[in-house]
Amino acid sequence: MNLEGLDFSILGPAFIAGLMVLATHVPLGREVLKRGIIFIDLAIAQIAGLGVIAAYRFGWDMHGWEVQVAALGTALIAAVVLNALEKRYQAYQEALIGAIFVLAATASILLLAGNPHGGESLKDLLVGQILWITWEQLLPIAFVTGVISLVLLSWRQRLDHLGFYLIFAVAITSSVQLVGVYLVFASLIIPALGSMASRKPLLLAYFIGSVGYGLGLVLSSLLDLPSGAMIVWCIAIVAMLSILATKHKQPFACK
Amino acid sequence: MFTQWKKRHWFTVLLLTLCSSASYGQLNIFACEPEWAALTRSLAGNDAKVYSATTAQQDPHHIQARPSLIAKVRRADLLVCTGAELEVGWLPLLLRKSGNAKIQPGQVGYFMATDHVSLLEKPGVLDRSLGDIHAAGNPHVHLDPYRIQQVAVALASSLMDVDPSNQQTYQENLQAFTLEWSKAISQWEKQAKRLRSKRIVVNHNNWVYLERWLGLERLAVLESRPGIAPSSSHLGEVLNQLAVNPADMILHADYQNDKPALWLSKRTGLRVVSLPFSPTKEEGLVDWFNRLLQPLLSAAS
Repeated sequence: MNLEGLDFSILGPAFIAGLMVLATHVPLGREVLKRGIIFIDLAIAQIAGLGVIAAYRFGWDMHGWEVQVAALGTALIAAVVLNALEKRYQAYQEALIGAIFVLAATASILLLAGNPHGGESLKDLLVGQILWITWEQLLPIAFVTGVISLVLLSWRQRLDHLGFYLIFAVAITSSVQLVGVYLVFASLIIPALGSMASRKPLLLAYFIGSVGYGLGLVLSSLLDLPSGAMIVWCIAIVAMLSILATKHKQPFACK
Repeated sequence: MFTQWKKRHWFTVLLLTLCSSASYGQLNIFACEPEWAALTRSLAGNDAKVYSATTAQQDPHHIQARPSLIAKVRRADLLVCTGAELEVGWLPLLLRKSGNAKIQPGQVGYFMATDHVSLLEKPGVLDRSLGDIHAAGNPHVHLDPYRIQQVAVALASSLMDVDPSNQQTYQENLQAFTLEWSKAISQWEKQAKRLRSKRIVVNHNNWVYLERWLGLERLAVLESRPGIAPSSSHLGEVLNQLAVNPADMILHADYQNDKPALWLSKRTGLRVVSLPFSPTKEEGLVDWFNRLLQPLLSAAS
């Protein structure tokens, strides 16, 4: 047992960041599940990383917002391409997403063959570490979260395919750098999966996600283990418990 | 449910206050690598609490964020790290997150070992395409006992600045360390005479200070550029080179992947010597250097 990490000023920013990620990813995840394109977030995150690497490779020395522009720009292009593919080859959409993921990942290896510094920036982009987040960093994320939530709330029904892919690209590019690709994947898919049988799926999904983040952060400080991986496991365990619980309580209203 | 949670929460807060008040009055030191933790322990004595962020089995370039790490940096009175960009991937983030003013760059509590010694392999031209090169020079200075002595002197004076009330102790500890260390150095140098001008192949270019000290001659590096896995054409070059000009052994840090070294060993019949790159937890520097030299000596006999 290790109690010294159990400090709100250490875990607080990480928890709030987690809640912000959940705010946009839970509804997006339900959509992803409905459309059966589970691996789209991995593909988009990888392509955003590829954009940054390509920009480095071709001689831009980038910092801060320029990196964001490169990442977001390529992610948006990927969204347009994925949308076009979905229209033409709907039956193979999932397979195409998988192939695009592998191509983007290996393209970064080829581009980076002579440049380990680019490798570091790719790793930062993919394995963002949730614990390093400070209060100041949460401001721009709060802004992005607010805009995406607004769009999702007001135009959810009218959002066509392209609109969905574009919103998704923006959400993933910002969240992946904040908490890393594993947590983004877990936040998208697991709460949506765990709340499928429920009468109030959105509410339950938010509950699963937030309890998972909170529990994961507390356990990672008590057991002195890396936080990101611990949170993923906690979200999964909470989701499993809630599936068991909703099975039995199905006839009753929410208690 | 809520009251239960609240009860538990207050219990934790209570425990936390107890823990933090118990450690009051002690010097808290945060070291980035085990070698600096070992040196600090021998200079600061038993009263200080020394914590190492990485272990001997970890690559100090990368580290996973754990809540306890931030808590320890937050409480630290002194930070002892290598510097020269070795920890550039995580230390700045950790320092920013900690918000601890005492150990920020430029403060008395911020100690970088490489600021106090001369560095080898300072690149003339900095070019990203050359690989994982550190602009300030090669940072792995802890493999040269003379540089360790220089760091020890500087570290003792930092300890005195941070904790002036125990100046006497630090002075005495430094003298004791210097005496023990110089005795050990002369013994090692006597033993290591037979290693002079042995020709070696290394996996990653992190042995330069040891090579200089022992007079080892580096023939080739398996990684074509530091931090990048060797390409097949580069390995072919190394093989050709070794056929003309044979080496005596292949050096390899035991925390790193040994596949490239074993691959070369299979093709050339050269012996792979696996060396501990850092001391283990609680191990002293003298014991670690003994353990470092032993495999080299037996490979050379």
